[in-house]
Amino acid sequence: MSQSQALPNRSLKQLWLKWRFHLNILLILIPLGFMPKYFADAKLFRGDAGLGANQISDIQVGPYSLDLAELRDEAPRADGPAGHFKAFNAALCKACTNDVKAVYLRIGKPRSLRAAGTIFFGASYRMITNLPIPPRTRPDAQVWVTIEGWDGSMHQASVPLAKASPATVAWLEKQGGKP
Amino acid sequence: MAKSPKKSKSKLWFLVHSWLALPIWFFVLIVCFTGMLAVVSQEIVWLANPDVRASKPDDSAERLSFQQVLDALHKAEPDMAVRSLSQPDGSHFALTASVTYPDGTSPTLYVNPYTGAVQGKSPDFNFEAFTRALHGWWLVPFTNGFSWGWYLVSLLGLPMLASLVTGLVVYKKFWKGFFKPVRTGHGSRIFWGDVHRLAGVWSIWFIAVIAITSIWFLIRAILSDNHITISTEPIVPVIAREEVPLTQDGSPAPRIDLDEAARIAGLAIPNLDISFISLPSTAYSHISLGGRGWYPLMFQTAEINPYTRVVDSQFLLADRSALEFVTESMRPLHTGDFGGLPIKLIWFFFGLILTLMVFSGLLIWTKRTAQATAAALKRSERAPLAHAAGSDQPVEIRQ
Repeated sequence: MSQSQALPNRSLKQLWLKWRFHLNILLILIPLGFMPKYFADAKLFRGDAGLGANQISDIQVGPYSLDLAELRDEAPRADGPAGHFKAFNAALCKACTNDVKAVYLRIGKPRSLRAAGTIFFGASYRMITNLPIPPRTRPDAQVWVTIEGWDGSMHQASVPLAKASPATVAWLEKQGGKP
Repeated sequence: MAKSPKKSKSKLWFLVHSWLALPIWFFVLIVCFTGMLAVVSQEIVWLANPDVRASKPDDSAERLSFQQVLDALHKAEPDMAVRSLSQPDGSHFALTASVTYPDGTSPTLYVNPYTGAVQGKSPDFNFEAFTRALHGWWLVPFTNGFSWGWYLVSLLGLPMLASLVTGLVVYKKFWKGFFKPVRTGHGSRIFWGDVHRLAGVWSIWFIAVIAITSIWFLIRAILSDNHITISTEPIVPVIAREEVPLTQDGSPAPRIDLDEAARIAGLAIPNLDISFISLPSTAYSHISLGGRGWYPLMFQTAEINPYTRVVDSQFLLADRSALEFVTESMRPLHTGDFGGLPIKLIWFFFGLILTLMVFSGLLIWTKRTAQATAAALKRSERAPLAHAAGSDQPVEIRQ
């Protein structure tokens, strides 16, 4: 099949005949090239590489404190019609794991506990959430952390998005508020 | 040059067959080889690492329940958070526990199912995950939807199916080839040709299964990347705020334990076999548990509300559509992990044969097709108008 197609163009054909088996080498180079990335990712997901990038430590949220970090130092990722998302990790202070019922993250101040944002999943030493990033988010927006207690109490604190995820702000500025 | 159209057609088929895996034969070879390894990767780890074996302390020892294992883990490491427990397929494997330590590291622990003792921690290099990632997506990371490495590998299902079809077309009366002895002493071309044909006829079913399931992996990626779903699996809503009790003193609301969850699930779904159980991942999440049903290629799951003791959601074999029975069977059919060690060993053996097919195909190619093609090229240089190359190359396929 490779022969008949190349017949009209002699030089192209000779190039193909000469180099076709080098495709093998190119294909083998792909996993070799991605291997460092693969092992770095494996380390990241095992939690051996710390909480993530651009970590903000000891954010005081009422009587509690937590560390916040973006999973990767990169722009938000597209997830089809659902829009763009940014993965954040958080770790609660060790002494407060028992008192905290839930931790939420949201861009902009939540008006109530019911609209507190996305909930953090997993063990309180290393929780993860996927924060939706509306394309019209202002670059000077604040990321709000809401902590809910088992007694129904609510505590809030905020950090600048620019500090929590500089890459997201850069992406927003480049997007210029385009949907 | 006066040839019957039938004959020249079979030559064309033969040429197509000869060129299918080329010029990417080494890529195909490595994909087959890593696939063969991935089938038995769990067993290789079992052989290499005593931590993953479920050794019985004595003959009368009984397996612990999930809650007993959890209690043992909490006793050994009070600060550690346990996220899920799972019994791999085969009672000779230790339980695996996904845990998180206070420093944020999240390894998998190997736990003895009889004593609850932590036997070891998953090593930094995860052989099973690595072989699967190399075989499945060529290590290309998933950033936006499916990795392009996934497409690269699963696309091989198409030439694989084509080589099966063309191979059967050019191998005249292939059904008579099952017991043809391999001829030695006639040179390596004849030898490898015989090996290739003999291995080929015995692997017809396996090549068909692997090729078709690979094409399904390709279709699955295309569907997913276009946000098309054919799943009838219910999306489990989070537990309603009202169902989670408030406590006056701020201590966590009481939740049922794992054994109680398993008991409730067993009452609601009598034939539910539980081999994995996930603890709630938030205060508004369920205890999620499941295992294989009577049809070993598919899993059944149930979500238990830890506050109200209600089975809020379940996904059983009976809930599947006919289409899902087909599509969900594709992955286990590809990997061979649906019938314990015997099936895995069959898959491994035919994976080895398949790797050998690629290799012997290449040897035959270098010994014949390359020479024939070179000869054909020379001719076409002399007579540029000659029709498609290879028209009178030797075709030795009718032994």
